[in-house]
Amino acid sequence: MLADAPNGVNFAAAPGVLWDHRVCAYRAPASKYSALKRWLLAAGVRFEDISNRPRYAQAAWSDVDLRTYQEAALSAWELAHRRGVVALPTGSGKTRLALAAMQRTQLSALCLVPTRVLLEQWSKEISAVYRGLIGCYGDGVRRVAPVTVATFEGAYRHMNELGGRFDLLVVDEVHHFGGGLRDEALEMAIADARLGLTATPPRDPGTATCLRELMGPTVFELAVADLAGGFLASFDVITLYLDLSSEERSAYANLSAIFRGVYADFRRAAPEANWADFSRHSACTSAGRRALAAWRQMRRLLSFTHAKQRALRSLLERHRDSKVLVFTADNDTAYAIAREHLIMPLTCDISRPERADVLEHFRRGDLRALVSARVLNEGLDVPDADVAVVVGGALGEREHVQRIGRLLRPSEGKRAIAYELVTRDTIEVGQARRRRRGLATRSSGQL
Amino acid sequence: MLPDRLVSYSIAGALVVPHFLGAHDHPWLRSLLEEHERFVGRRQRDLDARLRQPLPCESPPGKLKLALEVLRRLQRGQRNAGMVPPRRARAMVFLGAAGTADAPAAVLAKVAASLGVTASDLRDSLFADLPGERLVGAPGQPVSAVELALRGNLALVQRLLSHATVLRIDVEGNTRVLVRHTKWRGLICAVAEQIGQDGASLEISGPFALFRNTRLYGRALGELIPLLAWCPRFRLQAECVLDGRRLTLQLASGDPIFPASPPRQYDSRTEERFARDFRRLAPEWDILREPKPITADRTLIFPDFALQHRSDPGQRWLLEIVGFWTPDYLARKLASYREARVARLILCMDADRNCADTDLPPGALVVRFRRRVDAEAVLRALRSVENADGGRRGTGDVVSGHGDRRILDAGHGVQTDHDAS
Repeated sequence: MLADAPNGVNFAAAPGVLWDHRVCAYRAPASKYSALKRWLLAAGVRFEDISNRPRYAQAAWSDVDLRTYQEAALSAWELAHRRGVVALPTGSGKTRLALAAMQRTQLSALCLVPTRVLLEQWSKEISAVYRGLIGCYGDGVRRVAPVTVATFEGAYRHMNELGGRFDLLVVDEVHHFGGGLRDEALEMAIADARLGLTATPPRDPGTATCLRELMGPTVFELAVADLAGGFLASFDVITLYLDLSSEERSAYANLSAIFRGVYADFRRAAPEANWADFSRHSACTSAGRRALAAWRQMRRLLSFTHAKQRALRSLLERHRDSKVLVFTADNDTAYAIAREHLIMPLTCDISRPERADVLEHFRRGDLRALVSARVLNEGLDVPDADVAVVVGGALGEREHVQRIGRLLRPSEGKRAIAYELVTRDTIEVGQARRRRRGLATRSSGQL
Repeated sequence: MLPDRLVSYSIAGALVVPHFLGAHDHPWLRSLLEEHERFVGRRQRDLDARLRQPLPCESPPGKLKLALEVLRRLQRGQRNAGMVPPRRARAMVFLGAAGTADAPAAVLAKVAASLGVTASDLRDSLFADLPGERLVGAPGQPVSAVELALRGNLALVQRLLSHATVLRIDVEGNTRVLVRHTKWRGLICAVAEQIGQDGASLEISGPFALFRNTRLYGRALGELIPLLAWCPRFRLQAECVLDGRRLTLQLASGDPIFPASPPRQYDSRTEERFARDFRRLAPEWDILREPKPITADRTLIFPDFALQHRSDPGQRWLLEIVGFWTPDYLARKLASYREARVARLILCMDADRNCADTDLPPGALVVRFRRRVDAEAVLRALRSVENADGGRRGTGDVVSGHGDRRILDAGHGVQTDHDAS
């Protein structure tokens, strides 16, 4: 807020500044802080900066060694005036890159992460190279330090307290921003230096533009294929096309007819509309609600068909000496598989301490397989898996790329395998094609 | 907060009309409560399965889901029915299975034997802590159909307000509770007097709302709703953005919303103790909490107390306790009182505030305190003024010129401005 603004200065031309009639003062979003200061200086306006000055992270950092591509990524970020997004595949060491950025800039830093599990994980990684107190905002804790880790939700709720205290903003899984949800958290931070990390930068032009505004441009990007066979493990993706049983086919056909009739009408009337528009529109009519219900039942039917059950049994048997991750579309399927094959499920219903125990057992090799719907999709450091079985998915290509990334931690002579179970002549065929396209554009001949 | 999928409303022009649970819903709500009670101690999934079948009375599906969610949140902690603690069962079974080539049935039988339970019990224990497997619990306190409806409506409105960008409330009485809440939650509250009426108009929004239609403050705005029940009259308009459309939600006194528990009568222990001491010391005076706000420039000030003599209502003083506040806040507050130029104002100032005498409003009686406001000193001060003035001025009179400012350090008698310097 600009209090007691002098007369004779055209503040309407200042970056981001608006007149706030509620408090009779000029106000700008915190993200414009540096630009506004530069503008005020250039305009010759004398002012006193009474913002909560950022504190410097003076506690000792240990050196952070980087691989060659990480060094290149950090240099690209520095050259972009410490503002931009680095896109690297899962397992390629994005967190380490962020640690190096913090260590080399020595700036007070706020790291935003999507989940509470990652909050712990980041705090642990930082503590390995930084000897100062590490702040935490999230999971019921509110502690600020020159290096602080916060969940997206914690930051969103408390950015009025955090936004003015840091010079560097690091955002893990930055693709969650740019779509409007919680973007304010980034707008309410004064940090000029911003580093976004992702394995899957957004493709939608609107989101990409918005993210560029919030974090800066994509300054460095490597695909899975660029690192596979060297810094990441080589891998194969094998798609198994399966059939429905006659009962399943009949039920599927009935449901499909209910859905397709309504959907086709909608598409004819609104060819530009998307799925969200269809859901909204359908919820208002009884035929629409029936169509949505049919859609959900189709998804449920396809989630774990008889053929998928048989295929999974066979694959688990074939790879019983490997470390296997099974991915499902929903928690119910994950529990069904857990009960049938006695594989430990990792879901949102399992407490975090138990999840940590489970991952430790998996790391040590006491557990050879895990089954999960979404918990393993993103961010979690899951070591040394070498086989993935994708029984189903709900979130498209981004989810698929993240899941495949779980296999890519390299080791001597490792070649990972990902199996996709796809039911012929169903909506799964199109879904599988789309999600593979997402993977293919980020890799090359390895697939 | 409720998920959006449970929020039921219709749109009429630019208005969003929540589908409240009303008296016509009470019959099926009673049936729901009876069914729920019948399933206490049984698995949640059994209750869910029962409720997928119709209740004896017709129940609108959307409203039923809303009521169920509210009821679920009222339950005490849910237990699970596992013979073996589920986490222990999982650890033993899944680790056991990973370490052997035996078939799952054999693994279960072996682990069950080691625990002294049947394989079936062990299998049931594996996920007995999942939401659907937990046992239905009774609500913490008995709930009637009426209360369930009111709680459902509150949850519904609060969820709708999570999409709100600004609230406008015309309110009579208890305004201070609302203003205090907005301040506590970091919202901006512009307060204006309602011309010719005995109330105030509040416009409440968040700082960042200037830049975008943000939902950042929706939760804080929603928290105001149960407080409104303690305002004798109110009319609320909320600007919401729902499905990309700008819509208005309207509420007014009498709408069926579950009220908050009574608001705290006092802001601090200091205020509470002062009120108690003053009542005891001066039975001939009434001490009124939260008197009518006074106008200063374009805003309103809310004094903490009015002190009024029982037999002579002309002897009426406003009293403000200025305790531990930031310098900025203190400066603004004093500026407002100076602007308002209220006669018969007593300011009880924390002696540690280091406030310059020139900052104080003209005509105000100042009593300094440490930790505890001395009711006797306040009484002594106002009596001495009343005796001197002979009751010539009434509250709300504007002080002409700069009247004497009387400053009192607790226990040291009344001093004039000149004496104090």
